[in-house]
Amino acid sequence: MSSTEPSQNKTWELSLYELHRTPQEVITDATEIAVSPRSLHSELMCPICLDMLKKTMTTKECLHRFCNDCIITALRSGNKECPTCRKKLVSKRSLRPDPNFDLLISKIYPSRDEYEAHQERLLTKLSMSHSQASLVNSITEGIKLQSQNRPQRSRKNHEDNSNTSNSNGNNTENAQNGSTGTVPAAPKDGTSTTGIPTPSGQSTSNPASVRSTPSPVPSNISSVSKNTSTTKRAKSILTSERSEESESSDGRTEGENSMDTEGEGEPLNPNEIELVFKPHPTEMTGDNQLMRALRDSSVRYLKTTANASVDHLSKYLAMRLTLDLDAELPEAYRLLNFCIYVAPAPGQFVPLAGSQTLRQINDKFWKVNKPLEMYYSWKKT
Amino acid sequence: MAATRRLQKELNDIRQSGLKSFRDIQVDESNILTWQGLIVPDNPPYNKGAFRIEINFPAEYPFKPPKISFKTKIYHPNIDEKGQVCLPIISAENWKPATKTDQVIQALVALVNDPEPEHPLRAELAEEFLKDRKKFSKNAEEFTKKHSEKRPTD
Repeated sequence: MSSTEPSQNKTWELSLYELHRTPQEVITDATEIAVSPRSLHSELMCPICLDMLKKTMTTKECLHRFCNDCIITALRSGNKECPTCRKKLVSKRSLRPDPNFDLLISKIYPSRDEYEAHQERLLTKLSMSHSQASLVNSITEGIKLQSQNRPQRSRKNHEDNSNTSNSNGNNTENAQNGSTGTVPAAPKDGTSTTGIPTPSGQSTSNPASVRSTPSPVPSNISSVSKNTSTTKRAKSILTSERSEESESSDGRTEGENSMDTEGEGEPLNPNEIELVFKPHPTEMTGDNQLMRALRDSSVRYLKTTANASVDHLSKYLAMRLTLDLDAELPEAYRLLNFCIYVAPAPGQFVPLAGSQTLRQINDKFWKVNKPLEMYYSWKKT
Repeated sequence: MAATRRLQKELNDIRQSGLKSFRDIQVDESNILTWQGLIVPDNPPYNKGAFRIEINFPAEYPFKPPKISFKTKIYHPNIDEKGQVCLPIISAENWKPATKTDQVIQALVALVNDPEPEHPLRAELAEEFLKDRKKFSKNAEEFTKKHSEKRPTD
């Protein structure tokens, strides 16, 4: 009785929509009405979990809909009122199940699981993209910080570079020019010599003389001693990794095969390094059968673990080339031994010690984001 | 947790809606119950700056309301020196679980733009606001210039 004709003391809390709505005409012809997904979603959504209604319950007084689980939790949490309009809800008996509405949803979304999976993917993608954005932010912040600390570190590298490149003998000049080119931070201080912190007044003269005039001692010796001193340290770091490899010889060959995979365009794992392998342009000019064969098989692209050392690489090369050239080669050339160089600048070849890992080489000589360029020459032993 | 899932949805919706008056929403990935963001009011005297707020959601959300506090000092009758704000929509007696965070933020932005001296948190500012609007505006503007954050440019 009171529901058809609201009495004076009963106040209806009607929304504007409810006040202005008029009965809908029943559609009898083939008319189609388009509803935007957004407004549809707001109709079918539970206002508590914001998901699509599941086991719909409707409040008997105010006719608001909720998932069964959500409204039960709401009532248990102590609020005995409608979560949408705060009308009193004494208990579960103020609710009724709404199977018609569930049916309506299942008609509109016959494959609800699929819809929900899609929503889930969207949600994770969105939060991913946002955390990616903040990751990018923090990375640029980090780069800024690093570049503030860089001048000091690259100066050290610079020193190492020029020392090792001395071994190239006659093209030292060239090499030094090249090496300054690869260290962008150092020239900031004018000449690199002024950048080297020296105590008291003797300042620039000493390091400058060391650098500009090649020492009278055969440069090979000095560079070798330098190399061994730096690589001793590296060796001790490497021992664990190496012993692990020698333990499983099966795994090792597998690893070397995987070196051969050419993976361009794929996202690079931080523990992997891409490199281009070419024959040394000047040292490989000899005109015997082996040299010709090597030149013909020329450029190789590798992707391998950054823990691989120069020794690994030269063994790989020997094996690979022996396999490739097997038919053409006389017995005498079966055991190949290679010297491996990195080319930090065009025309500059820095020979590498066997125990250096690719990661160390990459960090030291190759700071740009493209495949490491390396050269090999045949070593007569 | 039910709160986490709903908050994730709300956060995505708000970020996608591209609200001009509430931006730079930062949420720690490990704790979605705390949001920070920048309120960018349109009305003078607060349109000279931006104000950082923090929204704290209880674990029982949405059955319990979130709490809002200002991290930026503001000269406002409804916001006290500690950054506490009196916002009816999130008071315990008015809270409805169906209220979504974007509605809360809109209510907050409206309150910042148009102070309500009838229920003040700082009576002296409410009085100044009612009796000497010119002086209030001047004080609030100076305070804003001195303490608020830079407004986003775009």
